[in-house]
Amino acid sequence: MVLNTLSDLKNIVAGGPRKKLILAAAQDQHSLGAVLKAWKENIVDPILVGDTESIQNICISNNYDITGLRIIHEPDLLKSVEMSVRMVNSKQADVLMKGMVGTSTLLKCVLNKDWGLRTGNLLSHFALFEVDTYHKVIAVTDVAMNIAPNLKDKIAIVNNSVSCLLRLGYNMPKVAVLGAVEMVNENMEATLHAALLSKMNQRDQIRNCIIDGPLAFDNAVSLESAKHKGIKSEVAGDTDILLMPDIEVGNVLYKSLVFFAKAKVASIILGALAPIVLTSRSDSEQAKFDSILLAAASCK
Amino acid sequence: MVETVLSLKRKYCVAVAWAQDPHTIGAIHRTVSEGFIDAYLIGRTSDIIKTCRSEGINEKLFKIVEAASETIASSMAVAMTKNGQADIVMKGLVGTDIFLKAVMNKKNGLMLPGAVLTYVGAIQIPAYHKLLFITDPAVIPYPNLAQKVSMASYAVEMAHRFGISKPSVALLAASEKTGKHFSSSADYSAMVEMAEKGEIKDCIMDGPLDLFLACDKNSVEIKGIKTPVNGEADILMFPSLESCNPFYKALMLFAHGELAGIIRGTEKPVVVMSRSESQISKYYCIALSCLMV
Repeated sequence: MVLNTLSDLKNIVAGGPRKKLILAAAQDQHSLGAVLKAWKENIVDPILVGDTESIQNICISNNYDITGLRIIHEPDLLKSVEMSVRMVNSKQADVLMKGMVGTSTLLKCVLNKDWGLRTGNLLSHFALFEVDTYHKVIAVTDVAMNIAPNLKDKIAIVNNSVSCLLRLGYNMPKVAVLGAVEMVNENMEATLHAALLSKMNQRDQIRNCIIDGPLAFDNAVSLESAKHKGIKSEVAGDTDILLMPDIEVGNVLYKSLVFFAKAKVASIILGALAPIVLTSRSDSEQAKFDSILLAAASCK
Repeated sequence: MVETVLSLKRKYCVAVAWAQDPHTIGAIHRTVSEGFIDAYLIGRTSDIIKTCRSEGINEKLFKIVEAASETIASSMAVAMTKNGQADIVMKGLVGTDIFLKAVMNKKNGLMLPGAVLTYVGAIQIPAYHKLLFITDPAVIPYPNLAQKVSMASYAVEMAHRFGISKPSVALLAASEKTGKHFSSSADYSAMVEMAEKGEIKDCIMDGPLDLFLACDKNSVEIKGIKTPVNGEADILMFPSLESCNPFYKALMLFAHGELAGIIRGTEKPVVVMSRSESQISKYYCIALSCLMV
């Protein structure tokens, strides 16, 4: 099974019980709008934690109908985040989403040793793209969280992403480890990492996926390009997950797909007890909605 | 760009190393038919003729020169350009490393003394309102400050040739915030200062900027950041080959982009394209190189 579009995620969500999403510090118009849209479309059951009065004011001025929605009043920002995280920790909710609070504040709570959402895994950012010039959705990771992952981190990033796709119903997703070239070059660490990851995959040290790399971007996504260069690879031209060498590479690529290729994107944080939705003000309404959709679909 | 080249009313001569693949021959054929190029195709004569015939192209339009291997073809193409038989040298189906070795050969190569060898490309994307010049997707893996300065200067010079008198240069990073995590921030700060003091001439330079701040006015407004580039970048300077290479490939494959680019730091234009590049991109590269002769 593969996903052809992000909307296909709706079929996954429709097949199971409705997931509960907690919006931490919910008095935030940008995230609130997307959460309510997802609620209306039966994607999630939201719980809003934050300042009730501000939440209601936002809803009134934007004509949002929140009749019947559960709101937990906690005017203090930090306390509302802590409460939200604790509720996810105690399985009262399935998805955590950031509202009117800084990313670092939220992550600090997520990483709390006593009541946070630690699993022992590295947290990583996972972006799922729908580009009309590619035959299926393609995940790009990590473009926002880990700045310069070492080999160990990259193994964790691959495992996080592979588990996510497996939960969505994939079988043996194909992972391309991106390089600027497809040859191993001792001066380019990313290509060495790529070779090691591929070998570890062959030896079953990284399971449930097929890894190949280094692959340059064109070979990862275009069979024609790979053939032209004489590259034989099960992954070439059919990549499900594109592993980035570092954030500098990933971030520009992510933004160019959004801005220049008009791609649709859904992104979540993986590696915690529950998927986390961290959208930013500059994300489109659609991207926020799709991220919630992805989070709901990828819950265990 | 092609119109500008045609308006020069000049014919340029290209020497192509290991010119045996349909994309290369197809691109050369178009430039020859349009009347701005004469071409030497250097390689195995029998293979060249075979490719021409299977593409329905008359091989007599070109001067075919026999060479037994990729390495020999590369050296011959470079030598012919150095001695003035050709104005431009171009890579065919040969690997980039072999080809560049010939270009960089101390005695017979084409390097200008002390120059930094790098690559500048011009990319046309339907979703952007103008041409975007990028550097370096192909040559220097992790440029140091001096190399970055050369790269920026070459890109500015290319933009000038396209009639952009004061191009905006965005020094790209993952974020507009400088920080110890991002190795390029220090270089970028130095470069912005050099541009202000006129050491990098005739451009507007700012960085670090992320791609949105470089190319999207909307994002500049939302984030409330003051930058002279202001979402109107003409030139994107990348921190590494690793980041520039997937950028342009993604634009070509996913955003209907077309790239033309050449090597800089040489006495004559050197055209190097990935072997998998399309015929139309190769065609644009040849046209671009004519502008840079």
